[in-house]
Amino acid sequence: MFFFRQYAYSLGMGHSTSQFFDEVLGDRAGVKKELANIHDLAWDAVDKELLSLCKLRVAMILGCDEEVASARQYLDPSKADAISQWPSSNIFTDREKSCLHFSEEFIIDVSSISDESASTVREHLGEEGFVTFVNALLVVEQRIRLLLVWSKLVGNAGT
Amino acid sequence: MRTQRVESSAFNALFREALSRWQEEVVQLDLIDPVTTEMVRLRCAEHHDCHT
Repeated sequence: MFFFRQYAYSLGMGHSTSQFFDEVLGDRAGVKKELANIHDLAWDAVDKELLSLCKLRVAMILGCDEEVASARQYLDPSKADAISQWPSSNIFTDREKSCLHFSEEFIIDVSSISDESASTVREHLGEEGFVTFVNALLVVEQRIRLLLVWSKLVGNAGT
Repeated sequence: MRTQRVESSAFNALFREALSRWQEEVVQLDLIDPVTTEMVRLRCAEHHDCHT
C-alpha cells in the first residue's frame, strides 16, 4: 500500500487540476511553466503524506471538493476521515498536529499566525524544514484558490 | 511586524528561486493594468508581512 501511494504521488498528484490550469492559461507559457514548476518542487521538498494531510484540511476549509478528493486518495482513509477532529484525535502525531494547526491559521488569517504555532512546527521540522513547509503550503493554498476562482470564471474544472 | 522566526533565509534556494520566478511571471501579465497590479502586490505583501 505504501509503495502504491508513493507511485501514485509521482504519477497523479493534481493531474486534472494541472490540465485545467493549462487550458485556462492557454498560451501564457511562462506562467504555466512556473506554476507547474513550483507545484512539482513543493511535492518534492516536503514529506508527501504530511503535505497531503495539510492539503486535505486546506481544501476542506476552502470548500474545494476536487482537491479534497485528490488529497484523500493518497492518505490513510482513517486519517482522512478523522481530519476535522484532529485536535482531539489520537491517530495524528504531534508533528502532524502542529502542521495542521499552522495550516488552519495560514488559511484563515495568515497575518495572525502566532509565534507559538510557528515555533512548534519549527521544533518538529527543523528550521529549513519549517521554511520549506511554509513555501509548500503557500503553493498548495494558492493552487486551490486559483482552482476555485478560475472554475467559477470559466466553468467546471472537469475533475 | 512579528518576531523573526528563522535565523536564515538561505534555505532551499531552488524552491525559493522558483517561487520568485513564478511571481515575476504573474506580475508581467498585462491583462490587468500596472497600477492595479502594484496595489494588489503591496496589499498582499503587507498582509503577509513580506519585506521583499
